Amino acid sequence: MSARIYSQKWKDTSLLLPILLFLGIFFLIPLISLLVQSVTEPTLGLVNFTELLATSTYVQVLANTFLVATLVTLFAVLLGFPLAWCITLFPSGWGRFLLNVVLLSMWTSLLARTYSWLVLLQSSGVLNKMLMAIGIIDQPLELVHNLTGVIIGMTYIMIPFVVLPLQASMSAIDPMVLQAASVCGASARTVFFRVFLPLCKPGIFSGALMVFVMSLGYYVTPALLGGVSNMMLPEFIVQQVQNFLNWGIASAAASILIAVTLVMFYIYLKVQTESPTSSHTGG
Amino acid sequence: MTTQSSTPLVTLKLLNKEYGQFTAVNHINLEIEKGEFLTFLGSSGSGKSTTLSMIAGFETPTSGEILLHNNSLIHVPSHKRGIGMVFQHYSLFPHMNVRDNIGFPLDIRKVPKPERDKKVDEILKLVQLSDFADRRPNMLSGGQKQRVAIARALVYEPEILLMDEPLGALDKKLREDLQDELRQIHRRLGITIIYVTHDQDEAMRLSERIAIFKDGEIVGLGSGTELYNTPPNAFVASFLGNSNFLKVRIKSESQAQFEQQLLTLGTQSHRIPDQTDVLLMIRPENIYVLPKEQAAQEPLAADMNEILATVEETVFLGESYTCTLVTQSGQRLMGKAVAREHTDVTAGSEVCVRWSTQHSCVYEQWSEQDIMKAS
Amino acid sequence: MLLTQQSLGWRIKSALYLITGSIAAFLAMPIFFIVALSFGSSQWLVFPPPHWTTKWYERFFDNPQWIDAALTSLQVATVTSIVATLIALPASFALVRGKFRGRDYLYSLFTLPMIVPVVIIAVATYSMFLSLGLTGTLVAFIISHVIVAVPFAMISIINSLKLFDKSIENAAVICGASRLQAIFKVTFPSIKPGIFAGALFAFLVSWDEVVISVMMASPELQTLPVKMWSTLRQDLTPVIAVASTLLIFLSLFIMLAANILRKRSQ
Repeated sequence: MSARIYSQKWKDTSLLLPILLFLGIFFLIPLISLLVQSVTEPTLGLVNFTELLATSTYVQVLANTFLVATLVTLFAVLLGFPLAWCITLFPSGWGRFLLNVVLLSMWTSLLARTYSWLVLLQSSGVLNKMLMAIGIIDQPLELVHNLTGVIIGMTYIMIPFVVLPLQASMSAIDPMVLQAASVCGASARTVFFRVFLPLCKPGIFSGALMVFVMSLGYYVTPALLGGVSNMMLPEFIVQQVQNFLNWGIASAAASILIAVTLVMFYIYLKVQTESPTSSHTGG
Repeated sequence: MTTQSSTPLVTLKLLNKEYGQFTAVNHINLEIEKGEFLTFLGSSGSGKSTTLSMIAGFETPTSGEILLHNNSLIHVPSHKRGIGMVFQHYSLFPHMNVRDNIGFPLDIRKVPKPERDKKVDEILKLVQLSDFADRRPNMLSGGQKQRVAIARALVYEPEILLMDEPLGALDKKLREDLQDELRQIHRRLGITIIYVTHDQDEAMRLSERIAIFKDGEIVGLGSGTELYNTPPNAFVASFLGNSNFLKVRIKSESQAQFEQQLLTLGTQSHRIPDQTDVLLMIRPENIYVLPKEQAAQEPLAADMNEILATVEETVFLGESYTCTLVTQSGQRLMGKAVAREHTDVTAGSEVCVRWSTQHSCVYEQWSEQDIMKAS
Repeated sequence: MLLTQQSLGWRIKSALYLITGSIAAFLAMPIFFIVALSFGSSQWLVFPPPHWTTKWYERFFDNPQWIDAALTSLQVATVTSIVATLIALPASFALVRGKFRGRDYLYSLFTLPMIVPVVIIAVATYSMFLSLGLTGTLVAFIISHVIVAVPFAMISIINSLKLFDKSIENAAVICGASRLQAIFKVTFPSIKPGIFAGALFAFLVSWDEVVISVMMASPELQTLPVKMWSTLRQDLTPVIAVASTLLIFLSLFIMLAANILRKRSQ
């Protein structure tokens, strides 16, 4: 009997062997050695971290990163909420269409979409021309190569990541609960703020957390839409590696980024309760 | 009904299955004869399905033996046991049509094509599905799916067919039709069937023998008639059908005291010491309820008992009548009579309650849970 | 109320329509805009374009650099998708079927490449391939793409495996098939849509990958996104709109295929 249990365990492990080997060698070891470099390069100690936190231009990078991530999260939730609501309201037809728009935008090449924003937002771009034609502005606005451009582009890219979890938690709400609240005499406004919104909170929370974490680590969009003077952490890391070969500072910055990401993700997992691997179909 | 002389087809010896601290199957012993239709009956978690899974080889026993023709099956993998099985949710292969589903066991056994096709056609005829041979499972109704599953399990002529609540997902009418069909198939093929269900009507309707499972043990084994008429213990009595329990005290070899009077007991297997508190079980349909005046005219036969009770409620159920009775000390009884033979009693009236001594069973040991109808 | 359309007041309803309509337009606009621009005649990407033309497409297809990049992308994405699926398949089986402890932790570990910022994975693998002298090779591209593609393939396979009723596989076993035969003859065919969807997602991840590829690339070996990236940093030529359009349509096509497969598996 024990031989059989043993062989079962051995079988499970051998099935996991390819992925363990692959991710172990090509992902975990490089990752860990990168993190280790933050305290060994060029000398042993926390010198990279103190330099990172003492140099004002570096601190500015950190501040930018968190500012952008916060604002993007805020805007993405504000814009994603009505979209998710509409998708839930019309499960077929309109809602299906909206959901497809969200999915389409999510799976369309990131680079292509960022390029599109670059063209749309440039000073001779469609947006500026439109605004000038209407007469709101006389001079083209500086919409790109600065934080405005980064925030517009990132918000655009992050909206789907809010809509999907939010829509899932909205469609899990029993409409009768809201009906019950209004039968109890609550006005539409009260029902919205006291019942509906609290019930959406798990969805908002996990969506927001996801967007915040992703925004911290985004490279492509900030690098293309942002300016040289307001760099974010990911771009900073690449610059330190590629231009200055400054692996110590780069890995210190990477360590901070990864630490924040993992803590956030841990919180995210705590919010989600269902086990991802357990099977629903039991014998 | 069963012949104990020859060696049994399947023998379970002290079969045990534990999941950590939880004992799913507790050292059971069972002999299954060739050609019989045996049902494992029990509520969910009673160990019946686990036992079946161990026979099929999907679960490995913690200890004990499973013998087929006196050869151990423990180290034989499922696919070499030569057992057929029908699952609860049909478990048809979704990517194959009916014909290929049924032909699958033959293909695995590398049966030559002409023979394979012949056998599949035969079995399709047996389960009346010849017209559906080219359909995919998702184009079939529940009853048809289950017939395909049965055909797939029968096509390679296994010695034993295991069925794990195969009709549970079907509605009542269809279930009864398939039960009749199944009984006919069993009779025609003479195959040994081990059937798992939680539905006692189904167990009664189908099987020659029933094994009643409770908490991982077999607490009753026998034909439906035996188990119903002379349940081996209070649990079986209460689990199968309806039952009345009276708490009485043994006074002599054949007599027990109930309230202020003595009742005559049926023949006992052994002498129970005097002053023991025991449980007397009588089926509702064996209870005769007589208005007092009528009782006065009909003298009490020698093998009958009589107690007094008050009618609490009568309910007309179409083919039968039930009445709830309360004895002087407040114990509740249920009487049931075919509506045609029912004598008129009204709620609140005092009545005589009679039953034949051979219709009562005595239990020395029981737990309150046993006699509370849970199913 | 609030979740049923009938019970919403017309004012809330029309406001909601208007807002969602604009947000949906906001989401869809850049995609349509880029497709339109790729056919516009203006070098400076004036919109609406003065004329419609296919000259940027000709430029794209006449330039061996773009074609080479596109072919490299295709090559890398195909191999990545196959390797990622082959690694993810047994892992998914072990995670769904295995009875060992810590399955959820392993699952989190394997999805980590999805969570760790790509830029960090890029820098870490770049550092490794630099020391191995492998940057600018196909192998480096493929290995680093597989890292980020594996979780996508795995999640898709795990989901379809969870939906698959194991008693169907048991039925095959009791019919006489060995466990391995049952898995190959019954389980795989049943979850095939999920496996293919996983492979397609892996393909898409690789096809779209920018950050890692930019670091792995050499002037001689570039994927399409890398070529776009380096061109983009110099000027905004409409040829990039052409490349973008091609990327969009390929993604769209693959998304549709994956969706159809996913529907079939349910």
